[in-house]
Amino acid sequence: MSPVIETLDVSKHYGEGDTLVKALDRVSLSIESGEFTAIVGPSGSGKSTLLQLMGGLDNPTLGQVHLANKDITQMSGRELSDFRRDHIGFIFQAYNLIPVLTAAENCEYIMLLQGVAETERRKRVYAMLNRVGLAGREGRFPNQLSGGQQQRVAVARAMVSRPNIILADEPTANLDSQTGSDLLDMMHDLNRNEGMTFVFSTHDPMIMERASRLIRLKDGCIDSESERGES
Amino acid sequence: MGLTQRLALRNLARNRRRTLLTAMIISLSLTALMFTDALIQGMTDTMVRSATRLYSGDAQIHHRDFLARQDESRVIDDPDTVLDQLAREPEVAGFAARALAFGMVSSAASNRAVQVVGIDPVAEASVSKIADAMIAGDYLSAAGPVTQILMGDRLAELLEAQLGDRIVVSVNNQVTEAAEQQLFRVSGIFHLNARAMDENLVFIRLPEAQAMMGLDNAVHEIAFNLSTASLATNTGLGLWQRLSNERQVAQGWTELMPQLSTMLQLTNSSTLIAGVVLFILAGLGVINGLFMSIYERTYEFGVLLAIGTRRRQLFRLIMTEGFILAVGAIGIGLVLGVLLISWSASVGIDYGSMEISGVALAEIIRPQHRIMQYSVLPLWVLAMTLVACIYPAIHAARIVPAKALHKSL
Repeated sequence: MSPVIETLDVSKHYGEGDTLVKALDRVSLSIESGEFTAIVGPSGSGKSTLLQLMGGLDNPTLGQVHLANKDITQMSGRELSDFRRDHIGFIFQAYNLIPVLTAAENCEYIMLLQGVAETERRKRVYAMLNRVGLAGREGRFPNQLSGGQQQRVAVARAMVSRPNIILADEPTANLDSQTGSDLLDMMHDLNRNEGMTFVFSTHDPMIMERASRLIRLKDGCIDSESERGES
Repeated sequence: MGLTQRLALRNLARNRRRTLLTAMIISLSLTALMFTDALIQGMTDTMVRSATRLYSGDAQIHHRDFLARQDESRVIDDPDTVLDQLAREPEVAGFAARALAFGMVSSAASNRAVQVVGIDPVAEASVSKIADAMIAGDYLSAAGPVTQILMGDRLAELLEAQLGDRIVVSVNNQVTEAAEQQLFRVSGIFHLNARAMDENLVFIRLPEAQAMMGLDNAVHEIAFNLSTASLATNTGLGLWQRLSNERQVAQGWTELMPQLSTMLQLTNSSTLIAGVVLFILAGLGVINGLFMSIYERTYEFGVLLAIGTRRRQLFRLIMTEGFILAVGAIGIGLVLGVLLISWSASVGIDYGSMEISGVALAEIIRPQHRIMQYSVLPLWVLAMTLVACIYPAIHAARIVPAKALHKSL
C-alpha cells in the first residue's frame, strides 16, 4: 500500500547562527491510508511544526513532503491552496469556524471552492452534519453552538470535501472530558467505517489510547514509534 | 447571493459601529464633495451674473480697435443695423447701445474723473441692473429733461452732491477735438454694490452723450445678454461670426474680462485640490477601518487559507467588503448631499457685500445641483474606496497561514 503522506528527512529551522532553532531535524515518516495516528511529545518537541509541514501550511528548510505521491514542497502557492482544498482536512484546537457562516455554510464553503454543484453540496452537508449528530442545527451560527458541537461542525467541515487525510491539532484540548471522548468516538467510527485517515497532534491520553499508531517526538526528532492493534 | 457576497456582508455586520464609522467617512466625503461643487457652481454663477448682468452684459460689440486703444474715435458708425440684427438673433435676450467717454464731473464742492456713459434708458434696462439699483431719485426717462444724470452713491459722496444738485460734465468732442461742457442736475443715485462702478460711472441719456461727444448717430458699445448666461462662454456659437465683421467684433465676457475667467479657473483648481485632500483623508479612513477589521480576523484568514481558499479569493473577499461598504456609504452620502444642497439652495448663503477680485457678489449664493454630483462624484468615491481597499486586501492575501495559526496548528 502506498503511503498517503510521507516526509523525507524533513527539517525546519528558525533563526540563524547563535539563535538557530531546529524545530524539526531530519524527520522521516510515512502515514498509510486508514491510519489513526497520534503525534505526541512535550511542548516544543515539534508536533505542531510537523503537522504544519504535512498540511502544506509551511515549507520545510530541508527535505520533502509527499502527499498522494506529490512533492508538495515544490508546489506554487496556488497549487498548494488547491491541493489543501482537495486532499487535506484540518481540525483546529479552537474549532476555528467562520463565525458569520452557519454550521451548514461552514461545511459548504470548501465544496464551493471545489466547484461542487449546489444540490450536491447541500446533500453532502446535511448528510455529514447528520452523521456528526448535528441534524436540525444546520442553520445555527457558531456562537449558538456549544464547544463540542462547534468541534463536530469542524470535523464535518474537514470531512465533507472528502480529503485523503485529516490533520487534527489537539482537537479535544478545549473540550471537557466527556465531550472530548464523544468526539473521539465519533472520529474513530469514521476512521473505522469510512477508512478516513487521521493524524493528531496531541497531549490527550484519550487520543493516545485510541490511536493505532503513536509517534513520539522529542527535541525535533522522532524519539520512538509504536503501533497497536485494533483498539 | 453568492457565499462570498454573503460572507462579505456578514463580516461588515459583525462590528456595526466600526462599519458605520468607516461608512460615515465615505458618506461625509461624498457629501462634502457634492456640497463643495454645488457651492462653487452657485458662487461662479453669482460672480458671473454680478460681473455681467449688473452692468457690462454677457457680451459686447465694439469697433475692433476700441478696447485695445481706448480710442473714443473708434465707433460703430451704423448701430441701427447691428441692433436690428441683434433683434433677429434667437439667443439674444436684450441689448442696448452705449456711448462712452472719459470725462470730468464737477460739483460745487469737488470734481472727479469718471467714465460718462450715454444710454437708452428703456433698452439699457433689458441688459443691466442700473434701473433696479436706484436708491434715490429716479432712473433716466426718455420723456424727462435733457439734464438728467445718474451717479453712484460713492461718487455722490465724493462730490458732496445730492439729488437736484448741479453737475458740470466735460468730455472730449470727437469732431471739434475740444472739451465739451454741459450742465446736468443729479436725478438719481444708484448703488450697484461694486465699488468701481459706484465711484466711477455717470449715466446720461444717449442722444445728449452723442451730441457732446460729437458722435452723430454712432456709439462705442452695444452690450447684450443671451438667453442663458453660459452661452457666452461657447466660442463655437455662430452668433459671434454673424455679429463680427472687418470693423466690429462681438466678444463674450470670458474675452472681455479675462481676469474673471482666470479667477474662475483658479476656483476650479481649488475645488480639485479640496477634492484630492478629501479623497486622501477618506482613503486613509477606509484603509484604517479595513485594517482594523483584518487584524481582528487574521486568525480567521489563516483558517480560510489553510482549508484551501486561494489568496486571490481572499483578496476578492476584502474587495467585495469594500465594494459593499462603498455602495452603502455612497447611498447615504447621496441622500445627505441632496438634503444639504437643497436646504442651502433654498435659504441661500449671504456673503454680504464681499468683492472677489473686484467682482461684487451682489446676490445671495445658492448652491446648485448638477448631474455630475450624482454621477461622476459617486463613481470617484467608489473608485477611491476600492483603491483604498487594495492595500488591506493585499495584506490579507499575503497572510502566512502557519503564522496566523501558530496558536493552534
